[in-house]
Amino acid sequence: MSFNAIQIILVFAWVFIIAIDQFDFLESLYQPIVTGAVIGAILGDLKTGLVVGGTYQLMTIGNMPVGGAQPPNAVIGGVMAVVFAIGSKLETGAAVGLAVPFALIGQYMVTLLFTVMSPMMSVADKMAEKGDHKGIVRLNWLAMAALGLLFAVVCTLGMIGGEAMGKTLESLSKAQPWIMSGLSVAGGMMRFVGFATLLRIMLSNDQWGIYFAGFSLATIIGYVADLTSIVLTNAGFTNTILDKGETIINHGIEATERVGSIANVSGSALLLIAFIGIALALNDFQTNVALKKAGSNENGGDDDGI
Amino acid sequence: MASKQIQTTYNNLTPAAALDKKTLNKMVWRSLNLQGSFNYERMQANGWLYGILPGLLAIHGEDSDDLKLSMAHNLEFFNTHPFLVTFVMGIILSLEQQKTDINTIRAVRVAAMGPLGGIGDAIFWFTLVPIAAGIGSNMAIQGNIMGPIMFLLIFNVVQFAVRFFLMHWSYSLGTKAIEVLTANAKEFTHAASLLGVFIVGALTSNYGGTTLSANLALENGTTIQSILDGVLPKMIPLGLTLGLYFLMKKKGWTPIMCIGALLVLGLLGALVGIF
Repeated sequence: MSFNAIQIILVFAWVFIIAIDQFDFLESLYQPIVTGAVIGAILGDLKTGLVVGGTYQLMTIGNMPVGGAQPPNAVIGGVMAVVFAIGSKLETGAAVGLAVPFALIGQYMVTLLFTVMSPMMSVADKMAEKGDHKGIVRLNWLAMAALGLLFAVVCTLGMIGGEAMGKTLESLSKAQPWIMSGLSVAGGMMRFVGFATLLRIMLSNDQWGIYFAGFSLATIIGYVADLTSIVLTNAGFTNTILDKGETIINHGIEATERVGSIANVSGSALLLIAFIGIALALNDFQTNVALKKAGSNENGGDDDGI
Repeated sequence: MASKQIQTTYNNLTPAAALDKKTLNKMVWRSLNLQGSFNYERMQANGWLYGILPGLLAIHGEDSDDLKLSMAHNLEFFNTHPFLVTFVMGIILSLEQQKTDINTIRAVRVAAMGPLGGIGDAIFWFTLVPIAAGIGSNMAIQGNIMGPIMFLLIFNVVQFAVRFFLMHWSYSLGTKAIEVLTANAKEFTHAASLLGVFIVGALTSNYGGTTLSANLALENGTTIQSILDGVLPKMIPLGLTLGLYFLMKKKGWTPIMCIGALLVLGLLGALVGIF
């Protein structure tokens, strides 16, 4: 498997774009069906690119970024599958199998970046305090560039190092599983800081009951939804692709599920809850308006505002 | 201005001029990068602020104290469906333009962002992508270059139609709604924060996925997690949220201290096998 410098540079550039595209831009260029064709064209075999991209796409249809979970990364997996299929003249299935370690590393990098970006929010707070709107814009673009670079570098290493690089990455990802697993767990807990901040600002003492009511309702609906739908997020990918690499993927999936169990119970739960919340809020609004009217009739004043 | 942190009304309460189509469209384009600085603490918060900045600048003016106030509260936790975000943008911008009470804006933002996730997933990931990718993939597998082109075309026409429509529709909707509501602004704020708190309660459970390791079990095989679930499901997310609330409110912890503590907790927990 050998590629010339121009090919490597073009793949680097394309991966840079689609790594960002998986969360931003058009959120569709990264899909294997598109990326397969582009990588195929760059490597001089459009037809193979189309076939592998299309096949990979059908495999990953059940593997969407639903509800914010991080499945093994199909973006980097799709690119490497095409690279291996063309570079090493492999069957689609075998190429996809070799791409699995890269998909896993991709997932790790996303977890890492989302963790590192959390403390950066305090920097953003300082910018807001100073009204530094250009800083906010810069931060958003910098984070996107960081994601693009991480992915592009790994794919380039994969193109140069080939299958051997896959094996290296595989053993690297197995070496200290607790670090990735710990980061995933910590990442899953950080949103509670966001909630606690909101509560600190929003919650007046007479609203604790409402907070617990919302919590309870979501828990009940989540429990019901859990009974009926099982692990939508990971099932598709795991079943179809991972026959080839199940041992590697297992601890990654395990970590993913813990962060990502939000996905399975989401669905329409929050919409249903919002309906009930709106009913409560409307009732509160109407009662208070009625009270105000009654009060103002008695006092005869209309602009005391109390 | 030591009390800036708790200031809940803008200094300049005169409604700003309505945002023009150009500014609204600019924000639709920016909404594409909503998740640019996604992170585990506040998720899309910084991308959200990035998206509505053109509107906020037009409304509050550059270098004004009101712009700082507005930027600060728009950097709080935010997460919604990336393809439907312009709906929230339109409403919030109409509230900002009318210089509505900050507590109201926050409450409406929280109440609007939550439910959209499920709707967006249903429309885009469970319907549009399978259809568009299904058609495209079969063509691509036969070596037809039209496969990926069809896919991109179908997906993006729908995506941009939804983004532009929601922005303009919800902005005019919000503007109309405010006229009705200003008569009872105080009562509306109370009701809206009630809804907001209710939704944060729901998010605590719905977004809270932290559980103990399945390996933590009694000798008979019962896991500690299942015992906790027996007492109160989602006890850990609730406990962590309330604990962090306490640390911030009573002990004066900053978000960054909380994040550091959680990082240590997660790593140590994973090392000794709690998680």
